[in-house]
Amino acid sequence: MYQYDEFDQRIVDERAAQFAGQVERRFSGEITENEFKPLRLQNGLYMQLHAYMLRVAVPYGTLSAKQLRMLAHIARKYDRGYGHFTTRQNCQYNWPRLEDMPEIHRCLASVEMHSIQTSGNCVRNVTADHFAGVAPDELEDPRPWCEVIRQWSTFHPEFIALPRKFKIAVGTTPGVDRAAVAFHDIGVRMIENEQGERGFQILVGGGLGRTPYIAQLIGHFVPKWDLLSYLEAVLRVYNTHGRRDNLHKARIKILVNALGADEFRKRVEAEWALIKDGPLKLDPAEFERIAKHFAPPAYEKLPDAKAELDKLRLGKDRELARFVTNNVSKHKAPGYAAVVVCLKQKDVPPGDMTDEQMDAFAALSERFGFGELRVTHTQNLVLPDVRVSDLPALHAELSKLGLATPNHNKLTDLIACPGLDYCALANARSIPIALEVMQRFEDIDYQNDLGELNLKISGCINACGHHHIGNIGILGIDKGGVEHYQIMLGGSAGYDASLGEFLGKALPQEQVVDALTKLLHCYLGLRHSVEDRLIDVVRRVGLSPFKEAVYGPPTIRQGVAHANH
Amino acid sequence: MQIIRNGAIVEDAFVHVANGAEIPAQGDVIVSLSRYVEERDALRARAGKVGVRLASNEEAHTVEPYLGEVALVAIEFPTFKDGRGYTTARLLRDRYGYKGEIRAVGDVLRDQLRAMRRCGFDAYELKAGKDIQGALQAFGEFSESYQGAADDPRPLFRRRNRAAI
Amino acid sequence: MPKPPLKWIVTANFTVDGAVGYFTAARSFSRQVADAIVFASKEEAEAARLEAVRAEAVVTDPYLMEVVESDGKLDLLSARERIRSLGPTVPYGHFKPKSGAV
Repeated sequence: MYQYDEFDQRIVDERAAQFAGQVERRFSGEITENEFKPLRLQNGLYMQLHAYMLRVAVPYGTLSAKQLRMLAHIARKYDRGYGHFTTRQNCQYNWPRLEDMPEIHRCLASVEMHSIQTSGNCVRNVTADHFAGVAPDELEDPRPWCEVIRQWSTFHPEFIALPRKFKIAVGTTPGVDRAAVAFHDIGVRMIENEQGERGFQILVGGGLGRTPYIAQLIGHFVPKWDLLSYLEAVLRVYNTHGRRDNLHKARIKILVNALGADEFRKRVEAEWALIKDGPLKLDPAEFERIAKHFAPPAYEKLPDAKAELDKLRLGKDRELARFVTNNVSKHKAPGYAAVVVCLKQKDVPPGDMTDEQMDAFAALSERFGFGELRVTHTQNLVLPDVRVSDLPALHAELSKLGLATPNHNKLTDLIACPGLDYCALANARSIPIALEVMQRFEDIDYQNDLGELNLKISGCINACGHHHIGNIGILGIDKGGVEHYQIMLGGSAGYDASLGEFLGKALPQEQVVDALTKLLHCYLGLRHSVEDRLIDVVRRVGLSPFKEAVYGPPTIRQGVAHANH
Repeated sequence: MQIIRNGAIVEDAFVHVANGAEIPAQGDVIVSLSRYVEERDALRARAGKVGVRLASNEEAHTVEPYLGEVALVAIEFPTFKDGRGYTTARLLRDRYGYKGEIRAVGDVLRDQLRAMRRCGFDAYELKAGKDIQGALQAFGEFSESYQGAADDPRPLFRRRNRAAI
Repeated sequence: MPKPPLKWIVTANFTVDGAVGYFTAARSFSRQVADAIVFASKEEAEAARLEAVRAEAVVTDPYLMEVVESDGKLDLLSARERIRSLGPTVPYGHFKPKSGAV
């Protein structure tokens, strides 16, 4: 993974010192909270319901064992013994003290970490596939490109006060999308043209929240070395023309849809023409310098392990078999596998991990890999380089930690935002729903029978729980001071991106999981086989059978009420 | 009033004249771009320098025809959150080759100064009541930058030897 | 039965650690809602809020929250304010909250 040179290190050290000065001036009153707020946001520090919240950057979801140990140390010493992994591959703390922030930043900087631009109206963490570098279906590792974008966007002086936040994701897997690229402000998709040259499709204007949009294709084929100049042109058009009059209309998706893709492209490419052959042209040697950090580790020369994996899936150890079937993914190197470790523990909020678990997991990443781990955008972790022959031993260790739930991509591998238990923006709690679902549908055999299912839960319309793109989405709302929940169906975050539709009127908390049960029962009755996933059935038959299952048959006078928000 | 120019605190004689107000017969003034365009001949004929002030929604190309004759271009930040001025300054330098003074006015605070300088600003009217001495320190807070900008178009790797592994 | 009249509490977050604070009769901030002074007059509450606004080194973003007092008990009226006063209703770290409705 990328390792800092003296300049990378100096930049984070100086930023930590700058913020320490700003904190001092905040306490002394030299700057007001109004002036301080954007400064602390651009250092990832929010004010939430009960405390500050610090969002630490995990660039493209890659962490070293050493970094994870430091995250554990910070959790232990400066927080309440745990951290939370987010839907943008970052790590959050819910109880940091403002006066401890300088020390926390020094700790982070000592392991080449920071919380720069993880909030605020600037370019945020660049995210990627959690199997980057090991996935057999990628054209190349997206992470060097992410690192190039990260450096270009960090403290970019022209874009420090954008109309609103800006999120970029990079995908390099043709026909497949594990990074929700189409739902970002800019989605960068690597493709090969007919001449076999590699370049990028640039999609712009994706996003969820109040007005969800799938990104539109703006740059059809941007040659590799022109990536940064194209991104700069998009950002410049956005900085100049993005709306600043209304917080809820300020994202680039609003601009792209207001102008239309063609007009937006015209403006971007007019600007791009003037800068593409300037200093933003990527230098292959500099790219190589970065890419070398991501060179494959010293894999052993092992035979193909397909037979071994089949044996494990059919083996006597049923828990191990389930784990290998659901959580283990193919790897470029023969004899290796990428293992998804779901942070979906019973009675623990999804994505949470204690300091002890972090320390133990860091050791596992060293014992069963090369000291590297990944954070997914679905509140899980990945051990990217596990020898297939080590899977039984790894599984045994994960079981001791309570981290061996074999539910990847099944119903209880859900995601939930922090919701009203933590978040100042929320209208309803989301974690209790998540916990109830995880408890009610604990049975793995039943979940396997349900098949691939992505449930996503948000506590408000800001959609940090990505409810629009869940196969099943749940949105918490406030109805007369009481928490209620809307159910949506038919969303997908993958290459076949789609936005879900609301099923019917909002339900009080106690009815939500029963409604889910009815919904799933209806699906089981309609499908052809377990490979006929819920998303496939919804796309084929529409929402009516599900509406009827949950709300009963429609009467003549009563239409099914729709969401009102 | 005191302003920061080229990294130092200096006395400045320019006076901002609002759109409806009378322009003093002498002395250095800053007027809005629209006023400059309207009263250009009179402004050029009077004694004293004249600079133009761009609102945050006025793009660089609108002042381009006058860059050869104005004493400075002032760019407004109605709130420090409105970042359009950074692009405007950058284009004045990079696209139109303007070498004269670009001054930040309005909600100009210490913590934005460095980004402003990198975008091509070289003068700053700090928001009233703010510590101008302390603000100077903002310029020295970072010894390096990753990306090029108006102050130096070269990205870091072209300016420094970046360590290969 | 007539609804009890609306009253107000001034609440904020402590600047030092972000913890929830409530304005007290002693004109300071407490972490316990039980210590809060309940204003019957919105004007008085607003005056107290402005006092808190000026104490930015101590508390951040003070605002008025509506409450009612019935049967001698304080009703915070919204799930949000109840959760603010109680803490998260879900487990975290090694902590398990007391069960019960919010």
